[in-house]
Amino acid sequence: MIVVSLLFYLFSFIMIASAFMVILSRNPVHSVLFLILCFFNSAGIFLILGAEFLAFILVIVYVGAVAVLFLFVVMMLDVEFKSISSTVISYLPIGLTIGVIVLAELMLVLFTWKRDYSVTDNLSITTDKQYSNTEIIGLVLYTDNILFFQLAGLILLASMIGAIVLTVNHRPSAKRQDINKQVERDAESSIKNIDMKPGSGI
Amino acid sequence: MNPIILDYLPILIFIGVAIVVSAALMGSSFILAKSNPDNEKLSTYECGFEPFENARVKFDIRFYLVAILFIIFDLEVAFLFPWAITLGKIGVFGYISMMIFLAVLTVGFVYEWKKGALEWD
Repeated sequence: MIVVSLLFYLFSFIMIASAFMVILSRNPVHSVLFLILCFFNSAGIFLILGAEFLAFILVIVYVGAVAVLFLFVVMMLDVEFKSISSTVISYLPIGLTIGVIVLAELMLVLFTWKRDYSVTDNLSITTDKQYSNTEIIGLVLYTDNILFFQLAGLILLASMIGAIVLTVNHRPSAKRQDINKQVERDAESSIKNIDMKPGSGI
Repeated sequence: MNPIILDYLPILIFIGVAIVVSAALMGSSFILAKSNPDNEKLSTYECGFEPFENARVKFDIRFYLVAILFIIFDLEVAFLFPWAITLGKIGVFGYISMMIFLAVLTVGFVYEWKKGALEWD
């Protein structure tokens, strides 16, 4: 038991420290790498909670895909290595404002919200020992919560179309391979005999 | 205590061993190796010239598009995992529900294909 609490404190300490390093490190690529460390540690905390599926989705989706996306964005933006001190002061007021608002919201949630146990007790599937974590999600996600599942599909569709509309910009001058055109081509359409009179051009 | 955690004990031990081994390798070379730092050792040498421009070149936006499309299909696969192991219990309704989800994403895939987002000029 004490090992688990020690692990929790270890994971959360590394997570908070790397979150600080995300905003404090001078090199933006290092920031993204610290963000990945942060994701890994939150996956560890999910595992301590027993949420296996969430932990591995966090590793697959956030570490495997979102962090790569962030790396691309950092590399695309052509960020300069500025000293932190100049930018920190100019962004301090708005950052502090947002931080205080989020802290107030968290405090409100922690101290005023009372957990309603009747909701979890009435669920058709509770955290039984006979089902694994992933099975519990699978049993309710596709049938009981079909609306949210389909909405997730629509959101994915919208983001796919949005990304394509924003970034696909083919140059019309680019020469592309058209396989149908290549296959249809034969000797008659591509070779032409011309009788040339001496001293004249085509 | 959650019994699931015990299944992951080998991974924890593995991470611990990895940390110890990598720290030992880096630490021993830091302590034992001869260190004779010089500013010229770090300077860029480009055939006798100073480097003409920054090595950090801007990326093409198309890498970003590929990464976004990868994330979307990655999430689609993530939704497939719990569905696959519970398919016997959630029945026809769950099956049709997933088929609608896949159909919606296939619409996006056809759009992407026809729009030429998968081609690289």
